[in-house]
Amino acid sequence: MPVVRRNTRFAVSRGPRFHRFACTGLAAALAAAFSLAPSLALADEAELRAEIADLRKQIDEMKEQMKAMMSQGKAAPSAAAAPSPSPAGTAAPAATPALAERVDKLEQQVSAQADEASATKLFSYGEIAYSHPTHDSGGTQADLARAVLGFAHSFDDRTRAYGEFEWEHAVTSADDQGESEVEQLYVERQLNDRVAGRIGLFLIPLGLLNEHHEPTQYYGVFRNFVETAIIPTTWREGGVSLLGGTESGFNWNLGVTTGFDLSKWDPTSNEGRESPLGSIHQELQLARARDLSVYAAANYQGIPGLTAGGGVFTGKAGQGAPNFLAPDARVTLWEGHARWQPGPFDLSALYARGTISDTQALNLTFVGDPTPVPKSFWGAYVQGAWHAWAYKDYSLAPFARYEWFNTAASYEPVPEGLGVPPSPTERVGTIGANFYIGPNIVLKADYQKFHVDTARDRFDLGFGYNF
Amino acid sequence: MRRSSGWHPRLVVAAVAAAALTLAFVAARGLAIADALDSGAPTPVSLGEKIFADASLSASGKMACATCHDPAHAHAQSNDLSVQYGGAGLDVPGTRAVPSLQYVSLIPRFGFGDDGPFGGFDRDGRANTLIIQAMRPLLSSNEMANASIEDLIQRLSVTPYADEFRQVYGADIFADPNGAFQALLFSLSQYQTLDPDFRPFNSKYDSFLRGEVMLAPAELRGLALFNNPQKGNCAACHPSHRGPNGEPPMFTDFTYDNLGVPRNDEIPANADPTYYDLGLCGPARTDLENQADLCGQFKVPTLRNVATRHVFFHNGRFHSLHDALQFYVQRDTNPELFYPVAEDGTVLKFDDLPPQYRRNVNTEEVPYDRHPGEAPRLSDAELEDLETFLNTLTDGYDPTATPAGN
Repeated sequence: MPVVRRNTRFAVSRGPRFHRFACTGLAAALAAAFSLAPSLALADEAELRAEIADLRKQIDEMKEQMKAMMSQGKAAPSAAAAPSPSPAGTAAPAATPALAERVDKLEQQVSAQADEASATKLFSYGEIAYSHPTHDSGGTQADLARAVLGFAHSFDDRTRAYGEFEWEHAVTSADDQGESEVEQLYVERQLNDRVAGRIGLFLIPLGLLNEHHEPTQYYGVFRNFVETAIIPTTWREGGVSLLGGTESGFNWNLGVTTGFDLSKWDPTSNEGRESPLGSIHQELQLARARDLSVYAAANYQGIPGLTAGGGVFTGKAGQGAPNFLAPDARVTLWEGHARWQPGPFDLSALYARGTISDTQALNLTFVGDPTPVPKSFWGAYVQGAWHAWAYKDYSLAPFARYEWFNTAASYEPVPEGLGVPPSPTERVGTIGANFYIGPNIVLKADYQKFHVDTARDRFDLGFGYNF
Repeated sequence: MRRSSGWHPRLVVAAVAAAALTLAFVAARGLAIADALDSGAPTPVSLGEKIFADASLSASGKMACATCHDPAHAHAQSNDLSVQYGGAGLDVPGTRAVPSLQYVSLIPRFGFGDDGPFGGFDRDGRANTLIIQAMRPLLSSNEMANASIEDLIQRLSVTPYADEFRQVYGADIFADPNGAFQALLFSLSQYQTLDPDFRPFNSKYDSFLRGEVMLAPAELRGLALFNNPQKGNCAACHPSHRGPNGEPPMFTDFTYDNLGVPRNDEIPANADPTYYDLGLCGPARTDLENQADLCGQFKVPTLRNVATRHVFFHNGRFHSLHDALQFYVQRDTNPELFYPVAEDGTVLKFDDLPPQYRRNVNTEEVPYDRHPGEAPRLSDAELEDLETFLNTLTDGYDPTATPAGN
């Protein structure tokens, strides 16, 4: 913030009246600009730029007038027997360069403030979902699924910090069911033209939804099952990563991060059946980090409208837990995906498969419990959307998706009669539409039909925004 | 000339000397501590052990803590009486069966959680600490029956270990009976908390959880029935899995339940038909007497060493593990096996509760969620497997011994 001084250095001379008026006018404009400076820092960037342009224009006009007046005033003293002291005459031309210098400085200061103001950006997204099970109207529910607030701050043009904070289900307390969490918190620096590095808590770049999970980025009221039950969106780990891309459109991402903690597995609850990895993830919450994980992901985006890629994440999950019977268990998740957007269509497909090894001894102690640790779990989906209609900034995109998933496809063997049979593969068909109001607001409706657990068939409505 | 490493010889000598001195200091300190433990210098724990086993501290001269809480029987009774007899003449009956003190110090303080009350010592949780708990048996007329604290301390002051007591608590400790009483209770509490005999965790099941041994097929079947929420569902109140930090399972969640155990006529107090032992709401405990929904609830005990017990449930109504298990699965399918039957054939179910509290009995949780005519949750063969599994919870298993069946 520049120091604002009511400046007396301007030589408001006792020269010709129009000259004095011009100088006073210029001084007034400058004074106004100075007083405006503090509030400029708080204004919107676009407004700032407009202000600067306007000021520049005014200053340029003033300069022109001064020039014109100087050339007229030079002739005047020689014409009249002026009692005006010569300092007034000589002071005026001398004042012009000084004034111009002040104006340049002012421009620079205002520009710097505008840059500061745009270095930190806030963003947010939120979703509200209504779901009505068609066979159980008593289970109808409306929920503020998530409210997210985040920031991106640029330290300089190649280093930035990023944070994302989330509230789920509206209210969080010991007696309520909501959750509040830090979803991401990292710093990224562009190391050279091609490669950037990240350190902190960040999203794992697997799947189509994990990194791009805002409500305007996916079809349907709820995120698809494959990318919630198999890939535990939003899946984040703490660690370091390198990411980069080639000119031909090949983007890659490698990382070393925290991983899963299999000692958290609760064989008496249903959580492990809903999402095996979701029930043992640590989310950098006092995470056990004796066994770190590594991942590699790549996407080819060289052809406009096409994304094709995949990745793998692997790491041990025993974490040195005391007296744990699966100390060498390894969690591995593979996935491959493709998304093609020809014209108004948006087609995508994904396959993901996870394994947990070395669970035999542990599962023996879980005999009789409803949820032993699975050996493998997998999911796949195909989805097609059509941006069928647009008018002004409204658009409608009906879609259809079919997904298969199995959260307990196989188990390590246990003595006969004591095991739990592998789960049947659930199949879910979803049809619906996203209605966009501009690119940042979406209204959604869909109907979902379940093949195995038909009690879950439901009709859903949703609303989301994103900026 | 540049040295290949950065260590100046003098620095090396200094570092080695420092390390040696540190090592010597630590070793000496460690030896000093070990000496103190091994040398027999009295500690509160060693005094507690002596007090625990000392029958001379009772009015009868024949009853110590260890009389009813026999270390050789998982710190519980060695006879099969439903209630023990105490007092000066060992003829005053108690009102409840002796609980095992094994693992007793792992019980949390009494409190109310999301699912109701939990924790506390004694079968109704009325003592919040081991110190408070030990007061009652020493002074109670149907147990060690000391007439007063002074009476008890007088007896303590003439024991063979009285000098050791003075060594630990001060030469003039016996001059202040209340202070000496505090010290005595503290010793007992420390003994039960710190002595490894009270928390061995060396049952066959513990070895199995450590991966050292495999359970026999019948034991594994029994474990599966124990855990299965549709069969035994025992793990719902008697958890069988490790805690979040690898702690061994305690086989109790320390909560309270009302099973409607039949009235036991072997308890002399039950000869009075108006006498009811209602657990949390009385008569021994009085602070919760207005909470009618708690009447009849007793604390869920640990199942560790359950196969060594001679009497089961708070009133010792059953004298074998098999009978106790059978009660769980057939209480509602065949109540006539357990409760008195009136002349007209009706079964007086839940007869150990006044009529207005009979609806407090748990009839919703597996396995006692059955109705007459329905099959029990466990068949006889399954009950046997379950009992075989429960036998693996007995401490003192040696995994290196020849496994010729258990």
